[in-house]
Amino acid sequence: MSEVATAARSAAVPEGLSPEPTVDSAPQAKILLVDDEPKSLFALQELLSTLGQNLMIAQSGEEALRLALKNDFAVILLDVRMPGIDGFETARLIRSRERSRLTPVIFLTAAADEMSSMFRGYEVGAVDYLQKPVVPEILKSKVAVFVELHRKSERLRESEEKLRRLAAHLISVREEERAHIAREIHDELGQVLTGLKMEVTWLAKRLREKPLIEKTDSMCKLIDTTVQTVRKIATGLRPEMLDDMGLIAAVGWQAKEFQKRTGIRCRAKLPPEVKLDIDVSTTMFRIFQEILTNVARHSRATRVDMELTVNEDRVGLEVTDNGVGIADSDLNGKKSLGLLGMHERALLFGGEVKITGTAGHGTRVSVSIPVRQRA
Amino acid sequence: MTEVKVIIADDHPVVRQGLRQMLAVEQDLTVVGEARNGQEVVELSRRVPWEVAVLDYNMPGKNGLELIKELRQRYPGRAVLILSMYPEDRYAVRALKAGAAGYLTKESAPEELVSAIRKVAGGGRYVTPTLGEKLALELEDNRGKPLHETLSDREYQVMWMIASGKTVRQIADELFLSPNTVSTHRTRILRKMNMKSNAELMHYAIAHHLVD
Repeated sequence: MSEVATAARSAAVPEGLSPEPTVDSAPQAKILLVDDEPKSLFALQELLSTLGQNLMIAQSGEEALRLALKNDFAVILLDVRMPGIDGFETARLIRSRERSRLTPVIFLTAAADEMSSMFRGYEVGAVDYLQKPVVPEILKSKVAVFVELHRKSERLRESEEKLRRLAAHLISVREEERAHIAREIHDELGQVLTGLKMEVTWLAKRLREKPLIEKTDSMCKLIDTTVQTVRKIATGLRPEMLDDMGLIAAVGWQAKEFQKRTGIRCRAKLPPEVKLDIDVSTTMFRIFQEILTNVARHSRATRVDMELTVNEDRVGLEVTDNGVGIADSDLNGKKSLGLLGMHERALLFGGEVKITGTAGHGTRVSVSIPVRQRA
Repeated sequence: MTEVKVIIADDHPVVRQGLRQMLAVEQDLTVVGEARNGQEVVELSRRVPWEVAVLDYNMPGKNGLELIKELRQRYPGRAVLILSMYPEDRYAVRALKAGAAGYLTKESAPEELVSAIRKVAGGGRYVTPTLGEKLALELEDNRGKPLHETLSDREYQVMWMIASGKTVRQIADELFLSPNTVSTHRTRILRKMNMKSNAELMHYAIAHHLVD
């Protein structure tokens, strides 16, 4: 087995399919070397080969651009003087693309070049400038710094990605669990209570003594109260309306509930009912709840206006209140985990949440999530 | 008295048993079949003669509204009565619109269910007093603005707090207002709503479901 593995690793690996990183070594970073003179390229390759990274070469600006389209480079070493697209133009084009906007570029220039060209270099995004002939130690250590930087940002990106996936997982697990518990409580417990009440009623009909009838009466009342409590708990966990009637009805109900519970007027503008994806509906509904929680807790508002809109490709929610207005410092503060949760939920479905506050003039939250409508 | 043939459907054995027991006492009502889910209801409705179907709103398989519509389409002359765990205020109107002859929650008194079955068997519709009142209020609200809509947002909030049993002091603290301001609001609220006391206000708020 190990022989096969070794053979596979030593074989030429096609571009973009570099071997799986092993535990003890970090994945290779890609470095692009651009020079029109094969001799210089060869010299650079020799020099940098000891770094143990993946070196790629281009003999013209065009070729460099093509490679930059497909690869993320830790650093690009770019000869300034080349026929066709020169080094400056190549750098400008590379950095004008979103993917390679921040790729560091080190210009290599012949000693004859003037200071003025250096400024041009920095203008198009050079992070450094080296004069030929380059001093091997300097070049190597500079490139090594960028490789390290690249690795660190890769690692950061990966861990961000992991955190995001974890958050998404937690959100969906929590939602599933809530729905499950709500259903269990409501259906099982609720139905048993209903059955119990019927039994007590049956019994009550056969009683003639007043004290006993009074007892069964109070038992019935107790059962009714318990049923109401069960219903309240279940709805609190996950409103059954969301599944039965859809987002629009559920949001309308939540708005009314909010007004009833807080005394803060809540005006809802709702579109005609349409069937929406249940996960998108849940996301929107939870975000709406979170917004209302924030209004009740922090805004000191006396009024909330909300509008839900649905068109072919998006569902939008706009909530404004007339309260004190959220401060910018609270938007990103450590205490704003609820806001972060809203953003994460929306992001899961490719949506976004925008929050703006004006001191003394309330807060506005706009949510937009892409949808696929079901026929 | 003619006999009314009743189908009962619920996915919970306890509830079916309770229903059976309850209806067995009534001379004029006969349970002719039981079903545990939507599919069984449809099959049963074909197999046995019946006049009233008492259905749980939320059974496995078909959802309540679909089932009501399907039965109404096939048997336009017969009645579907919904007996549900879900509160009336959110579901009853939908069920009635879909063609149900009545909507009862499972908290309803057994006598209510029995009289509802009798009423819908005769071709009538059964609406609980609570729902009837709510529908009447909605009609009334449509004719003119309800009184509480004449209040400003702040007044509405203060009204809600008074109706929830809070004192002027408590309201002032919660809203960061002076007790004087709150008292002024209160006076204006009572004038606008044509009332004399907090008790009247509370009564109004409860009747209009502005507070729990």
